[in-house]
This record gives sequence, structure tokens and C-alpha cells, in this order.
Amino acid sequence: VGRLLLLCLLLCGCGARSKPPAVRLVFRHGGSLGSEPFFRSLFEEFEREHPGISVSSELLPANTDQQRQLNAVELQGSSSRFDVLDMDIVWVQEFARAGWLLDLSAYFDEKTRSGFVPSTLRSASFEGRYFSVPRSADAGLLYYRKDLLEKYGLAPPDTWDRLARDASEIVSKEKDPALTGFVWQGRQYEGLVCAAAEFLGSNGVRFLDERGRWAADDSKAARALGFMRDLIGPGRPSPESVLTADEETARLIFGNGQAVFMRNWPYAWGLFAEPGQPMKGKVAVALLPRFPGGKSVSTLGGWYLGVNHRSSHPKEAYEFIQFMTSRRAQTALFLRLSYLPTRKDLYLDPGLLARAPQLAEFERALDRAVPRPETPAYAGLSLLLQSEFSRALVGRCSPEAALRRIRRRAGSLLNPGGA
Amino acid sequence: MKRPWLWLAPAVSALAALTFAPLLATLWLSLHRRLPVFQLHDWAGLDNYRKLAFDPRFGRSLAVTLYFTAASVAIELAAGLAAALALRGDFRGRAWAMGMLLLPWIVPSPVAARMWSWIFDAQFGVLNYLLVSFGVLRRPLAWLGRPWLALHAAILADAWKTTPFMALLLLAGLRSISPGLERAARADGAGPVRTFFRVTLPSIMPMLQAAVLFRALDAWRVFDVVYVMTAGGPADATETLSIYAYKTFFTTLDLGYGSALAFAIVFGAGLLSAAFLFLTREATA
Repeated sequence: VGRLLLLCLLLCGCGARSKPPAVRLVFRHGGSLGSEPFFRSLFEEFEREHPGISVSSELLPANTDQQRQLNAVELQGSSSRFDVLDMDIVWVQEFARAGWLLDLSAYFDEKTRSGFVPSTLRSASFEGRYFSVPRSADAGLLYYRKDLLEKYGLAPPDTWDRLARDASEIVSKEKDPALTGFVWQGRQYEGLVCAAAEFLGSNGVRFLDERGRWAADDSKAARALGFMRDLIGPGRPSPESVLTADEETARLIFGNGQAVFMRNWPYAWGLFAEPGQPMKGKVAVALLPRFPGGKSVSTLGGWYLGVNHRSSHPKEAYEFIQFMTSRRAQTALFLRLSYLPTRKDLYLDPGLLARAPQLAEFERALDRAVPRPETPAYAGLSLLLQSEFSRALVGRCSPEAALRRIRRRAGSLLNPGGA
Repeated sequence: MKRPWLWLAPAVSALAALTFAPLLATLWLSLHRRLPVFQLHDWAGLDNYRKLAFDPRFGRSLAVTLYFTAASVAIELAAGLAAALALRGDFRGRAWAMGMLLLPWIVPSPVAARMWSWIFDAQFGVLNYLLVSFGVLRRPLAWLGRPWLALHAAILADAWKTTPFMALLLLAGLRSISPGLERAARADGAGPVRTFFRVTLPSIMPMLQAAVLFRALDAWRVFDVVYVMTAGGPADATETLSIYAYKTFFTTLDLGYGSALAFAIVFGAGLLSAAFLFLTREATA
């Protein structure tokens, strides 16, 4: 009898619960190690406020290239298995051009957009229409050893020449054989394009014109590329190992106290500040230097949310995007996973600034951040730039020759239709 | 033997479904201009192959792949033969030595590649640590940052990984030589070198040729070891044909040209096998 009663109770319990949600949204993203419970709690918050909608994650591999491939394959195959997708900034143009994303202009209107950091908005649109909403931003920064610069009475360098001089001076005076001057990302991969865009951009180079054609000023670009090459080598500011360095390599070298300066993204900040880190309290950030006559440029990175063109719940999908880009969610994402917010007012939020004073410096970099070439053909263009920049850096060819070859190849790459 | 085709049908259809169908699909795709991002999908005839002929990056990756294949197979053959000869006789600890020999072959390629890229790491690698502590180098060397060194580091990693395969096949060949043959040669007054070149080596020749062909075809298509170590850099110095085809197909999403590159690899492998079989037929005839 007891068992029967229990069964009855169970059945009643089930019956009393609310009906299953009518709309099930699938959010496709890369997540990050161990972040699943955190995302789950965010989704639950959204579900509480939007009865009738439930959200689940579909996690992709951590490697961004693989994420892009998996997304491209399924979107091209008109899959409707997922509604909202997380996109690296450089995919937005491509996915929008391919017709894989829903036009969100009607939802993401001017009034809503005015709350966002302006530099992050440009990459969200394609041909004047908004296909995505920026949820997090990234910008290249100059990290430096506060203790060493103070010791020699130096201010953070504002030109590249100063940086090279200061780095060499400090390294020679410190007499520590393990200490190097300036580490950055010189391996042949996407990060090289990000770093090179900053060197070239701070010499006044723009890669593309308004119509998306290759328009780099070859002599200015060659000067910056030549400067990058000449940074590297024995007795020079950068060790030869920058030719194999990605973000993590540079962070490990700098984090071990083996470099005076480093170019990296904001994520590194949080890691240096962790208890027990040798560089805790010795690190500061500044805007990246520039060439004489140029302006400091940071490469813009970030993640953008879009809606699958085949989604059966576009309205609900946008409500979810609205939630994920809200002040509350962005604050939580920043505090928990160090994603930089894209909302302007969060950078002025006294509560947040008290907990993370570095936000003020991050905002300065973000304000002048410049996206990588905005073109649907970005992936192919980047492969070309990686190859030619790397050839110039290791001295396989002159910077001028590399830039001439880029110019020759870029035309058909950027406009494969040949119109 | 009634209706032999019926009995062959399962094998033939499996081969057709798993090998010929994808191959033909790739060939078909390579005759099109297909860029899904730009909604381009039209017939291109041989345009993609014409483009190959004028693509300097293709030329470079072809040269890298040929050199990689020749160098890694030569190293594997020399090291594999030496290992096989050492393990030929019966001695104490032979089973243990066999186990050690096979270890690299058991390690999955991406894991081996990761391991080697850490060994060669400029800042934290054990190789630089040893060379600097013993005074061979004055300062750490960026092994994977210089084109020539990076290519040879990748060749070494690949050879390390596949030498056991070569050794195993050659050992099987050596163990099947009847001992009387070599004893007879010795009795007839041939020295150890002469015996090796006149008796031992010819006896294992068929095995050796098969092993070299297998390995050459594998090296020709090499992807994982190199991709994990350098992803083709620096300056495209380690960009093999497979890596270039992968980047073109999956990253650029230029499906037509990427397929042409993939088909060029298959065609090259066919050419390589045909040339090899022709040459070895001459040698044994």
C-alpha cells in the first residue's frame, strides 16, 4: 500500500508541474573549460524571465577554426538544429554574405545600438544591415613590467622606436641572460595578422577601401613590416622565439618575468593577477606604440551572436541574444570568464570599476580598436597575409616583395565573382 | 567457379563505395568553381588545374612534399634497417628491445607531434636546455622559427614515429632468410659486408620495396605531424600539399580549387607508385 501511495504521489507531482516549454532554443558556442554550470545558471535566469522558452547549449570544440568549419558545414546544409550561434568577429561578414544569418536590423535598432561601444558595432553589420550583436570585445594591448620601467625612470613607450630602445636598454642593464625585450605573436597563424595589423595600422596603413578592395599603402606597410623583421634576432629587442610564439607562448614568457614588454589580449591580465603568479603586481598595460605621424591602433577581436537563417524561432532567439548582451549577463561573463563587455555604461560602472580597475585602460584600447579587414573573403585573405608576412619576417623575401604579391593575389580573392 | 563476379561483388562494391565514389566526387567538384560564401557554383572545366600550374604556393608545397618524402623515407630506411639487423638474432632482452622499438609507433601522431614541438620549443624546450647547458649553443635556437630547421625538425619527428614500421617489416624479411644461405656464403669465403650486400639484402628486397612504397605514399600525404608542429610555417617552409589543400578547402572554403589540390595529391601518389613499380620491376627482372 505504501508503495502504491508513493507512486500516486509521484504521478500527482508530475501532473502538477507546468507544461513543457513550447519553444526550445539551441545555443551553439565553444564554451570554455568547466564553464558549463555557469552558462546553465545564466540560461535558467533567462528561462525564469521568459516562461515558455527553454535554452540548451550545443558545445563545439575549443579550436575556433574547427568551430567555424562545423558552423559553415551545417549552415550551408540548411540545418535548423540550432537557433543562436556564437561567432568570432571575423566570421560575421562571411556568414552574412553567404545568407546563413538572419537580418536582425528590425530588432537591433538604432536606440538599442546606441548603448554599445561604437568600435564594436561596425563588424556586426554587413552592407548596412545588422546580422549580429556584439557580446564581448577584445583589443590588443601593450603589457609592460611596471617595476623595471620605474627602476630606470622610463614611461611606457609611445612610439615603436622608443619601445625598441627602452627594451634594449633595460635588457642590457639588467644583465639577466633569460630576460628578453619584447615578445609578441610572430608564428605563421591568425595571431600574426592581428599583430601585424597593429604595426601597419599605426603607420597609417588601411588594408581595404570603402568598397572592400585591397588598398594598403605599400611603402608605409613595407616600412612597418621591415621594422617588425628588424625587431627580431640576437642583440635585438625580440628573441628569435617570437617567430614560433602564439598568445600563450608570449604570455608564459612574460609571465615568467622573461620579457620587459609584451603584445597580448586582455585575457592575460587576469592570469597575471592570480595569487602565486611571479609577476603579480609588477605588470601594467598601456596603449600599443605607434610610428611617428601615426596613431596607436589595437586590433579588435570579440564574439558576436547571430541567428541561424533556418531557425524556427527567430523572435525568441533574439530575446535570448538580448538577454546574453544585457548589462547583467555581460557583467557576469566578465567577472566569471573575463569576457570584456560591449556595453558602454559598464565601463563607467563604479561597482565594476572598483572590482576591476583595469577596465579603464581596456576601454581606451577598445575605443581605438580597428577590426581586421571586413570582407566575406577574410579567411582566404588571412591565409595569404599569414604566408607573406611570415616570409618577410624570416627574411625569405623583402617586405616590398611580400606586399607586391599580396596586392597581386588580393584582387581575385576579395572578389571571386570577378564582377 | 561459377559466376565469379557474384562472389567478387561484395569486395568490389565496398571498394567502389569507399574509394572510387569519393574520388570521383572530388574529381567532379574540382571541375567546378564552387564558393558557397559567394553563392558561386558553376562549371569551370580545367580552370582549377590551370590555376595550379601558375600558383607559386602550390609549387612550393610540391617541392616541400617531395623533399619531405625523400628525406623521411631515407632516414626511416636507414634507421629501420639498422634496428632490424640489431634485433635479428636471439639475445637476452630481445623482447624488451622489441617493445621499446615499437613505442613510437604506438603513440598517436598528434600526441607525438605535440611532444616534439615541446622538445624543439625555443624557450622551454629540452633540446635547447641540453645544448645550452653543455655549451654547444650560446643562446637558445628557435628550431621551429627558421624555415630550414623547422622542415627538418618535422622530418625527424615523422621519421621517429614511423621507423618502427619499417624495422618491423624488414625484421620479418630478415627472419625468413634461411640461415643456411648466409652460412654457405661465409663458407665460400665472403666477408660480412659482401654477405650482406650479396645475400642478405637481395633476400629481403621484395619486403624492403613494399615497405618503402608504403612509407613513401604515407609521407607524400603527410598532414597530422606537420600540422600540429608548425601548421605549415614559418614562411610556408613546412606547408605540405595536404596542408595546403586542407587550408584551401576548409579555411578558404574554395571547394573547387581545394578539390583540385586534393586530386593532385592522389594523382601524384598514383604517379609515385607507378614510377616505383616500374623501377623495381627493372631491378628484379
